[in-house]
Amino acid sequence: MKNIGRFITLLVLVLVLSACGDNQEGTGSKDNKASADSGRTEITYWYAFGDKIGENNENLVKMFNDSQDKILVKAEFQGGYGDLHSKTQAAFAAKNAPEVTLNEIASMGVFARSGMTENLTPFIENDSDVNLEDFNPGLMGNSYVDGNIYGLPYLRSTPILYMNASMLKEAGLDPAGPKNWKEFEEYLRALTVDGQSVGMSMPVGIWYFEAFVGAGGEDMLASDDSEVTFNGTAGVEALEFWKRLAEEGILKIHAGDEAAAQATQDFANGRSAMMFTSTANLTQNLAIAEENGFELNTAFMPSNKTSGVPTGGANLVMTAGLSPEKQQAAWEFIKWMTAKEQTIYASKYTGYLPSRLSAIDSEEMQSLYEEIPQYKVAVDQLQYGKARPMAEAYPEISTILADEITRSLLEPDLSPKDALDKAAELANPLLQ
Amino acid sequence: MTLANSNETLHRKREQSALSALNWVAVRPYMMIFPAIIVFTLFFLYPIGYMIYLSFHDWNFVSPDKDYVGFSNFTALLQDAKFQQVLRNTFMYSFATVSLTISISLLLALWLNKKGAMYGFVQGAIFSPHIISLVSISMLWMWIMDTDYGLLNWFLNLFGISNIPWLTDPKTSLLSLIIVAVWKGIGYYTLIFIAGLQSIPKDIYEAAALDDTSKVRTFFKLTLPMLSPTLFFLTIIGLIGSFQVFETISIMTKGGPINSTNTIVYYIYENGFRFFKIGYASTAGVILLLVVGVFTIIYFKLLSRKVHYQS
Repeated sequence: MKNIGRFITLLVLVLVLSACGDNQEGTGSKDNKASADSGRTEITYWYAFGDKIGENNENLVKMFNDSQDKILVKAEFQGGYGDLHSKTQAAFAAKNAPEVTLNEIASMGVFARSGMTENLTPFIENDSDVNLEDFNPGLMGNSYVDGNIYGLPYLRSTPILYMNASMLKEAGLDPAGPKNWKEFEEYLRALTVDGQSVGMSMPVGIWYFEAFVGAGGEDMLASDDSEVTFNGTAGVEALEFWKRLAEEGILKIHAGDEAAAQATQDFANGRSAMMFTSTANLTQNLAIAEENGFELNTAFMPSNKTSGVPTGGANLVMTAGLSPEKQQAAWEFIKWMTAKEQTIYASKYTGYLPSRLSAIDSEEMQSLYEEIPQYKVAVDQLQYGKARPMAEAYPEISTILADEITRSLLEPDLSPKDALDKAAELANPLLQ
Repeated sequence: MTLANSNETLHRKREQSALSALNWVAVRPYMMIFPAIIVFTLFFLYPIGYMIYLSFHDWNFVSPDKDYVGFSNFTALLQDAKFQQVLRNTFMYSFATVSLTISISLLLALWLNKKGAMYGFVQGAIFSPHIISLVSISMLWMWIMDTDYGLLNWFLNLFGISNIPWLTDPKTSLLSLIIVAVWKGIGYYTLIFIAGLQSIPKDIYEAAALDDTSKVRTFFKLTLPMLSPTLFFLTIIGLIGSFQVFETISIMTKGGPINSTNTIVYYIYENGFRFFKIGYASTAGVILLLVVGVFTIIYFKLLSRKVHYQS
């Protein structure tokens, strides 16, 4: 008995130890094989979103790999922007981050300032292939962090106004759409039919709120990110406008997590005549309109005192602390992905903005704009394009602001000024 | 003399081998559980220790330095109005979910504790949600509870009840999540209750029937006390489980609208992985550990005395 016990114990120990040994050996030899196999430098690229956008990423990476034999890029899908960001951070902490990844533009600051992404300025200065002037200036705002370039514009967007032109014509309105807040209000009123349809259905979207604050000529945060400014005149006026339209029942504002999906659904079913959403959804919305038998038109976000629309989407960034060999490979890949031909391909495939001026002027894009003019609205609107705030706490501030805006819309007695002041009071300590 | 000598040697030898056997007997259990201890330390103790360490630091998950901030995460968290609401939500969710699930499934178990094809079918039907992934259930209920296009409001409309914004109104959103949790939990609880009911000896009931005891009295004086181990077990795992609710919230509401459905685990996730405040999130994790720990201890110490265990 005693011997059997001793034997089992030894056996267990041997098994445990040999299992550990095996593991280490296994991973080690795999790594060796991978790099020995092909004389190419291997890098990994992480992207967000599936469907058309995912296909676009996979296709471009395949084209890049086929176009040369020095670098081999492996593309990996990582979910939405939120998932992509948290996975990248976790991977960086584990020293296992992809060489190239995407930053949603409002997150450029967090990643750059915490030393996760590489400063691209030296690469650009030492590379005569890159002409910075050719990037659309309206999209460059979020590339700079503290004076240095940390990312190049890749899949970029801006919110625009989508309209059911068939309903507009029925109501006797100009299908070109409203220009300013006053016309926007008239359109909403004319398009609301009791019990049938509402002028517009929208979520409590901070991205759209940014456009309304921009229309009042102000910003969400002070230029040095020291405090919030969304509770200034422009912000209060914007929320008062939303609240008044919502109370009249001509603008339906959904709270909650599926609000954006709900707005899309209302628009597709003809229960609302207009909606705000990203230009990235244009291809999809054209298909929805065709399926449901209505005409779709697009227009600028309505202006007030002025126009100032946020841009959106993601920039391509390089992970910090790579070996010179990997850095060069990553840089070649980023440069190729943001070049004229590729930005034309991506824009046509998805509806995202072409990020280069030469791409917009190209024959290919111009003939697309002639054929489907809806594609051009977002490009033209870019002259009013603004960078998104890049403070580290902005994701949390957005959540606080959305909560207080929702509260003000739900509680008749809570004035927009008080709601925004409350949000500012909660948000300001996060900026210090 | 020689005999005595050899006897002594023999005795000493025996003693020695007894000693080594004793050593071996004392060491062997530790050797046996050694692999388990390693796993436990690596995957349970170390993460808990690291979480406690992080709760005293300010860290954004990637920066190389973690700033030591003492207890300031704790004081900030306890003064945070949002966290107070999160705690209220969590307690309300847990108590409502557990008490509703237990009372409904106890009634169902009493009804279903019979032989017959129909009872088997009903039991199978109410158990089926338990084997479906929570993610699928959340997606399904998002559609059922949709304000304008959902099945639930369509059904209520038939009775002249106007549309209820289940998930989009802060007044009803937590209730909606409780409904989903109860719907999912009932099948499993009922199954355990039926097993509990069937293990009660039949002769007690015969004795009660001979004495002409009423059904209600039989239930409260016999069934309930005999069922108390099951009840105790389900309450504990129910409370501990619902304190840690995450999937339904992450998919159906993201804690909103206006934080009305934000609970501790979602709050930890939100701070850690969306706002990158790892220290702050770890502090909330320590609080969760304390709350769950205290509840477990209270239940084992107090309630176990009142539970009737069959010998």
